[in-house]
Amino acid sequence: MLDLVVKAIAYSSCIGIGAVAIALIYSATRTFNFAHASLVSWGMYVVFAGVYLLGYMPYYYIPIAILVGAALGLVIYGGVNRWLLKAKASEVNLMMSTLGADLILFGFLNIYSDYLIQVYKIPAKYFVLEVRDIMIGAGDISIRLIGIVAPFVLVAIVIALHIFLTKTKIGIAMRASIENPELASISGVNRDLVYALAWIIGGGLAALSGGLLSLVVAGYTAAGMTMIVTFFAGAIVGGLFSVFGSLLGGLLVGLSEFLGIALLASIVGGWVYAYRPAVPLAALAITLLLKPEGLAGFFIKVRE
Amino acid sequence: MFPPEVLLIMVNFAIGLIITISLNIEVGLLNIPQFGRLLAVVMGAIIAAAVPGRILAAMLGYPWGAEYADHMYNYKIVAEINSVLANNPLLSAGIFLLTLIIAALIGGVTGYLCAYPAIRLKETLGITLLAFGDLAVTIAWNYDPLVGGTTGVFVIDPFIFVGPAMRFTIAAFITLVVALAVYVYAELLVRSPYGRMLKAVRDAEIAAGIYGKDIIKVRKQVLIIGGAIAAMAGALWALFTGSMKAATYTRLQWTFWPWAFMMLGGVGNNLGIFIGVLIYTIVRYLIIVYKGAISTVVGVSPEWLEYILIGLLIILIVLFRPQGLLPEKPTYSISARRVTSIVKKVEEEVEKQEESSQSKSNKTS
Repeated sequence: MLDLVVKAIAYSSCIGIGAVAIALIYSATRTFNFAHASLVSWGMYVVFAGVYLLGYMPYYYIPIAILVGAALGLVIYGGVNRWLLKAKASEVNLMMSTLGADLILFGFLNIYSDYLIQVYKIPAKYFVLEVRDIMIGAGDISIRLIGIVAPFVLVAIVIALHIFLTKTKIGIAMRASIENPELASISGVNRDLVYALAWIIGGGLAALSGGLLSLVVAGYTAAGMTMIVTFFAGAIVGGLFSVFGSLLGGLLVGLSEFLGIALLASIVGGWVYAYRPAVPLAALAITLLLKPEGLAGFFIKVRE
Repeated sequence: MFPPEVLLIMVNFAIGLIITISLNIEVGLLNIPQFGRLLAVVMGAIIAAAVPGRILAAMLGYPWGAEYADHMYNYKIVAEINSVLANNPLLSAGIFLLTLIIAALIGGVTGYLCAYPAIRLKETLGITLLAFGDLAVTIAWNYDPLVGGTTGVFVIDPFIFVGPAMRFTIAAFITLVVALAVYVYAELLVRSPYGRMLKAVRDAEIAAGIYGKDIIKVRKQVLIIGGAIAAMAGALWALFTGSMKAATYTRLQWTFWPWAFMMLGGVGNNLGIFIGVLIYTIVRYLIIVYKGAISTVVGVSPEWLEYILIGLLIILIVLFRPQGLLPEKPTYSISARRVTSIVKKVEEEVEKQEESSQSKSNKTS
């Protein structure tokens, strides 16, 4: 039971971090980032390759994963998104362009994975890094370190983002241009910089959540693609325009996927475990039908 | 008669065309961000796998309940049914048509259910529909009594009566005929007053509303039409392949690729979509054929190369030619001569009416 709770906390923290990435990019650039899927997978593979090729603890490679994700985010922005935003492309076209970017990243990730298998003979098709995690604890109780690190990182991100968005000049400029792009650019906010920053932070957070997730779930190249709906569900359940709301939404969706299904299984029987992937989808559908503005709608009142 | 490669291109083209046309009716004509095309397609495939086989099993006295989808019995029951169908062309044709009709009905129902969020949501609609599609696949993949869950089921073969030599040729041709019929239907729809009304709603929703068009009703109708057509494609694909396994219905293949075809060909232009699907099907076939050659030249597996190429294609289209190869044309309407003749006729009618009303008023006075 303790194992399950720890795993659920770690997993839902990762989903929360990823949901923030989606919400940040969406609220800044109106782009649903499908490339998030492959960014998560890339984060997983950076950690995996580091652990298998160089050794040491998996946690050492998470900063590298963040850098890789941030760089890829910047490339997607500079190469595609920037020009579409300039051309005032429709929301669907923005979404499709990130889907294209996702497919390209997915293709390169698979090539990289094949390369790892051929040259280094390591199991890059499917890997479980969970066993490489350290067990900590006292006496009979011992838990995996990820159960502490992931929520800790989540809290750190909350604090860092809060300080960034309310105290720093660029963060305030970012909020301003999210809320009213025209007015912000009239007041001299460099929109290009704000968008680029959103993509860098978003890409970095996506890879961070992937890097942490590699210690929770099995890694394979399509892992991000399978989980992308969960991330979207988290972001939407939380309210797409609110960074902290989506963090909460991600946390909630992740927890319900692990603990909710365990609770349900204890009532109706073990067969419900098979439907675990349906939980985030159901959460998404229910939220949208009952409260389309998401969790953020409960505590953010729009001033009239 | 035909080499299998040609048949494969034909079937892939036909299925791709049907799905992309159905997508275009929703996206191109009414601007609904339909990222859940998978939902209707997989519903059609589920119908084809679960319903006609059960009907025949019940008629012939085989078990048709949960046992039908059990992998221990399914292949035996389907083999028995196929042996009956092999000697009975009329029954085969009937069950084929019935499958398409039921699939279209259920597809229409899913479209109607999708209308509930489609009327209420704006930015998140695409993602919601996408989630619905994934939800349907998850349920079909895990709920064994429906279509066998993870083991999948065999699908009855309504083309079996033509004999094993001609089976795939006939099946491919029939699929192509259905695709062409759908194409003609879509073209007629675009040129009809209804199609023009859809484009009016798409381009200026408020203005269309002011002129008395019921926008909610229009959205519902279009989602029903699109869902019905896409479900037919799913049913045809299941009938052609002769088996149904829910996990093979991925959102990449059945939602995103049709989107890519549509954007390549031209959103809102049926001919463009025809060309887009044709180009893509042939290119994909060439990649498969020259797999070995490509991988020796480039040094990577062509499977991943395909992903990269499609990704690049989507990005290049969105960046440089968002209207597609063949941009949407202004709606066809009747010629100027016919318009003047109609105006003349109407004027004559009005004159007549005025005369008659004048004579009436004269009488009363």
